[in-house]
Amino acid sequence: MELPSLTDFFARWRAKPPVPFSVLFKKFKSILERNNAILGLIGDMGDKLGGDYIFDRQYILDSCERLGDQVFKLVSDLSLLCQRKNVGLFTAFERISYEIREELAGRRVLSRTDHLLPLCDLTHDLVDEGGNKMANVGDIRNILGFTVPEGFVITAGAYFEAMERAGLRGRAAEIPTKFAGGDLDGLTEVAVQLQKDILAMPLPKGLAKAVKLAAKRLAAEHGQMLAVRSSAWGEDGESSFAGMYESVLGVSPEQILSAYKAVLASLFCEQALRYRLQRGLFREEPAMAVGVMRMVQARVSGGLYTYVPLLEHDQPMVVSAAWGLGKPIVEGTAETDTFFIGRDPPHELLSSEIGVKSTRLVLDAAGGTRTEDVPAEAAASPCLDRDQLTLLAKTAMSLERFFKRPLDVEWAFTPQGELVILQARPLSIKPKTCTEGPDVAEATKDVPVIISGKGVPAMGGVSSGPVHIVGEGADLSDFPYGAILVTHHSSPRFARVMPKCRGIITEMGSATGHMATIARELRVPTLVGVSDALSILREGQEITLDADHIVVYQGVVEALCRYELGKEDVFEESWEYRTLTRVLKHISPLTLLDPDADSFSPEKCKTFHDIARYVHQRAVDKLIALSEEHQEIKESAPHKLITKLPLGLTVIDVEGGLAAGARDEIREEDVRCRPLRALLEGMNASGMWETCAVAVDMGSFMSSVTRTMTASQSHPTTLGRNLAVISEEYLNLHLRLGYHFTVVDAYLGESVNDNAVLFRFMGGVTDFTRRSRRAGLIAAILEQYDFVVKISGDMVTGRAKKHPEKAMLDKMFMLGGLIGYTRQLDTRLGSDDAGRHHFDTFVQRINALREARQ
Amino acid sequence: MTNEPDRPDAPEPPAEVGGAGKARTSILVLDDEAIVCKRLKPFFQKAGYEVEAFNNPTEALARVKERRFDVVITDLKMEGLDGLAFLGKVKELYRDTDVIVITGFATLETSRESFRKGVFDFVAKPFKLAEILDVVRRVEKERGLAP
Repeated sequence: MELPSLTDFFARWRAKPPVPFSVLFKKFKSILERNNAILGLIGDMGDKLGGDYIFDRQYILDSCERLGDQVFKLVSDLSLLCQRKNVGLFTAFERISYEIREELAGRRVLSRTDHLLPLCDLTHDLVDEGGNKMANVGDIRNILGFTVPEGFVITAGAYFEAMERAGLRGRAAEIPTKFAGGDLDGLTEVAVQLQKDILAMPLPKGLAKAVKLAAKRLAAEHGQMLAVRSSAWGEDGESSFAGMYESVLGVSPEQILSAYKAVLASLFCEQALRYRLQRGLFREEPAMAVGVMRMVQARVSGGLYTYVPLLEHDQPMVVSAAWGLGKPIVEGTAETDTFFIGRDPPHELLSSEIGVKSTRLVLDAAGGTRTEDVPAEAAASPCLDRDQLTLLAKTAMSLERFFKRPLDVEWAFTPQGELVILQARPLSIKPKTCTEGPDVAEATKDVPVIISGKGVPAMGGVSSGPVHIVGEGADLSDFPYGAILVTHHSSPRFARVMPKCRGIITEMGSATGHMATIARELRVPTLVGVSDALSILREGQEITLDADHIVVYQGVVEALCRYELGKEDVFEESWEYRTLTRVLKHISPLTLLDPDADSFSPEKCKTFHDIARYVHQRAVDKLIALSEEHQEIKESAPHKLITKLPLGLTVIDVEGGLAAGARDEIREEDVRCRPLRALLEGMNASGMWETCAVAVDMGSFMSSVTRTMTASQSHPTTLGRNLAVISEEYLNLHLRLGYHFTVVDAYLGESVNDNAVLFRFMGGVTDFTRRSRRAGLIAAILEQYDFVVKISGDMVTGRAKKHPEKAMLDKMFMLGGLIGYTRQLDTRLGSDDAGRHHFDTFVQRINALREARQ
Repeated sequence: MTNEPDRPDAPEPPAEVGGAGKARTSILVLDDEAIVCKRLKPFFQKAGYEVEAFNNPTEALARVKERRFDVVITDLKMEGLDGLAFLGKVKELYRDTDVIVITGFATLETSRESFRKGVFDFVAKPFKLAEILDVVRRVEKERGLAP
C-alpha cells in the first residue's frame, strides 16, 4: 500500500476531518512532552556553565543536534495538529539552526551590525564585537565600575566588512590551510603582501565616515589626542599575542583611518601568523576589533603586576611609576620608582626604591607628545603617596579576582587625582610555588574543614576573606571590601556588592537562578544551598571558600589561592565554555513573552526557547478550537466549566473525567477527574484566592501601570481561554491568569509508580528583582511540599513523583491554593522581607486548611 | 616489548612529599579532549592526589609501562588506540589498578565488554566533578588506600 503524502493528508483533512479526536489529542500530548523535553535539555545545557561539570566538545555538538532535532519535530507536530505548513516557523527554525552551526564552526555570529560600539555599552558579552582587550576594558568600566579613558570600538564586524569588500577576507582565511602541513616556507612573503594590501585597501564609505566622525567627537571636547589600540579575538585571552599587534598612540582625528588600517594589518604580521599556526589556533577565523580611546592627561602613570614571585618578599605585587605619560615606563626607557606592596589588605608597603626621574613625557598642547624636564625637587621624590598606593592595590586585586589570574595593569593618575585604568592583561609569569601540585594537596591536608560537600557551586573558584553576614533586607552600602558574603536567600540585589566581595555562600537558592547568573558574570565563587551556613559561620571569621570542591576551610589557605591563580587555563576562557555560552545565546533566552502581543509570531522567534513557547501556545489554542469545532467533541458536547472563581475554563474530557450526561455547561460537582477536583478545592478554599486591590507601585510599573489589574481583567470573558484536558485520573491544565502562565500536568493512577505531578510557573511582566523574588518564593513553597524544583530565569518547574494517591491529592490541593495565592503577588513583593512574609503566610494558611481537610 | 613492565606485586615506591611520608593515591587521566585533562588534573591535585594527564593514548601507554597508577581514568572513544584496548593493557600489566571509564557513548555492548575486562565503574559524560571524585574515593575505600 502506498502511503498518502502530507499534502493529500491535509487536503483530505480539509474536506472532512477524518482524524479522530483521540489521535489529535495524542499529537497534542506529544507536543507537550516534547516541549518539556526541550525545556529540560535547554536547562541542562545551561547547568553545564555552572563550573561543576566536565563536558567536552562532543557534548556541545551532540546537545545542539539533539535539541535541533527535537525542535524540528515540535514544529512538524504543530503542522500536523493545525493542518498548516507553518512556513514562518520552519524559516525561524532554519535561521536559528544556521546561527548555531556558524557558532560551532567558529564563524561567530555578530549581533551588532552598526560597527561602532561606545565603551559604555561594551562588556565581555560583546567580546565578539569588541575583541578581548577592549572587552576587558569594558568589563572594568561597566561591570567593575572603575574609570577608564572614554572611547569607542570599531567592531570585528567592521573588519570583516572592510576585508570582504576589498576581496581580502578569503585570502586571509586560506592561510592556515596553506601552511597547515607545518612547513612555513613562504610565510614571510604572504604576511608582507597581505599587510601591504590591507594598508592600501579602501574602507567602506559608510564605515570611514562614521569612524572619522566618532573620532572627531571624542577628541573635540578637549582637543585631545587619541590612542588606537588593537583588540583582536584571542588577544589578552587564553593566548596572549602580547606585543604582536600594533597600537598607535597620539593620533589626531585626521589620522584616524590610517592608524585604524595599521592596526588591522598587524593581525597578519609574520610573528602573529606563526604564533597562530604553531599553537593550532586556526579553528576560528581571526578578527581585529580596534579600540579608539582618549589619551589621558597623566600626572603620574605606570604599570602594576599583581603578582611577583620574589621569594624575599613573599610574593607581593609590584608597582612601577613615573611622572607624566606611561609610554616610556612600559617601554622600559625611563627611570622609575618601584614599590612592593602586600597582596592582602591593608596592602602594606613592603619596600620601595625611589629613582631620579629627571624627564617626563607629556601631551603637547599643539598635538602629539613631548619630553620635558622634571623640576629637581620632584625628580627625586616618590611619585605616589600611601593612599594612592592603597587605592591602586585594592583596584588591582579587584581586577585580578575578576579575571582570575595575575595581571599586568597599566594605570594613570590625572592631575585631579583620579585613578584611570588604561588596560589590564594576564601576566604570563606564573606564581612560582603554585604550579606544583603536591604542595597544594599538602597545604589543605591539615587545615580544619568547616563545611564540606554541602551546597551546589553556582560559580566555581577559590577565594578567601572574612565572613560578612547579610540579613534579610540589610543595608548593603557598608559591605566591607574583600569580605565573603554569607546569607540565607540568594538574591539578585547582591549584584551591587559583588565587585567588592570575594565569595558568596547562601543557605537557599538555585544554581540556575538570577543571582547565580550574575555571580557567574562577575566570576565570584559562589555556593548556594549550604543548608546551615548561618549557624556554622561567624561574622568576621577568616575562611577560604573552594567552590569547585564544595569545601570551606578555616582561615586563609594561601597555597590554595595561589594555586588557583597559577592554573594554566581559566575554564571560562576555554573553547568549550565560550562556545557553549555562545550557542546558548541562540537557544535559551525567552523573548516571546506576551501571547497577545503582535510580536508573538514565528518571525519574532529569536531562540529555540521562543519556538518552543510559540508552538506550545498555538497547540493549546488549537486544542481549545478543536474542542469547539471537532465533530466528535461537538457531538459529545464542548464543556464550559462554571467555576466559583473567574477561570474561564474549557474542559475536554477524554475519558471519565466528567459525570455521565454532563451538558455544555458544567459545574464543579460534575467533575470526576480526581486531580482537578483537589486542585479546585484548593483554589476555592478560604483565603487562598487573592482579591485585594493592587496598589499602583512605580517599582513594578510594567504590571501595574501599563497593565492595571482591574476587575475587567479578572472577568472570565476577557481572561482568554484556559484549557483543562481530563480523564478520571489525568489532568493537563493550562492556565493564564493575568500575565502568569501556569501548567499543571498530573496523573494519579492505580500504581504508585505512575503517579506524577508537574507544576510549571512562568511569565509575569514586572521588574527583574520582583520576578526573581516570586520565582524564589514559589520554589521555596514547592520544596516545602517535597517537589523537586528547578529555576531557570523566570520559570519555576516543580516535580513530585511516586507518592501515594492521598499524598498526591494533598499536593494538588496545595497547588490550587498556590495558584490562587500567587495570582497577584508580583506587585506586593517589594522587598525580600515581603517574600519571606508571604512564604510564612501561605504555608500557615494552607497547612491549617490541609489539616481541616484530612 | 623491550621493557619488562613492573609487576603488580612490585610497584614503584609511592611518591613522598616533603618528608611527610604519606603515600598519595596516584591517578592517570587519559582523554583526547584536552578540556577534560585540563580540568580533571588540577581538580584532583587540589583534592590531594598525584595526577598525570594525557591527551594521547600512545603516550599514556608508554607511561603506564614505566610505572603503576592506583587509578586510571580513561575515555573510550579516541583517535589511535581505543579506550577498551587501553583498559585491557592496563589490567594486563597491573591487576590491582582500577580503571574508571568516562564516555559519552556507552552502548550496552561496550559496557559489557568493559566490565568483562575488569573496569571498576562507568561515568557518563558530561559528569559532575563531585561524581568522579566519589568513584575514586570508592576505589580507595575498597583498596584500603584511604583511612
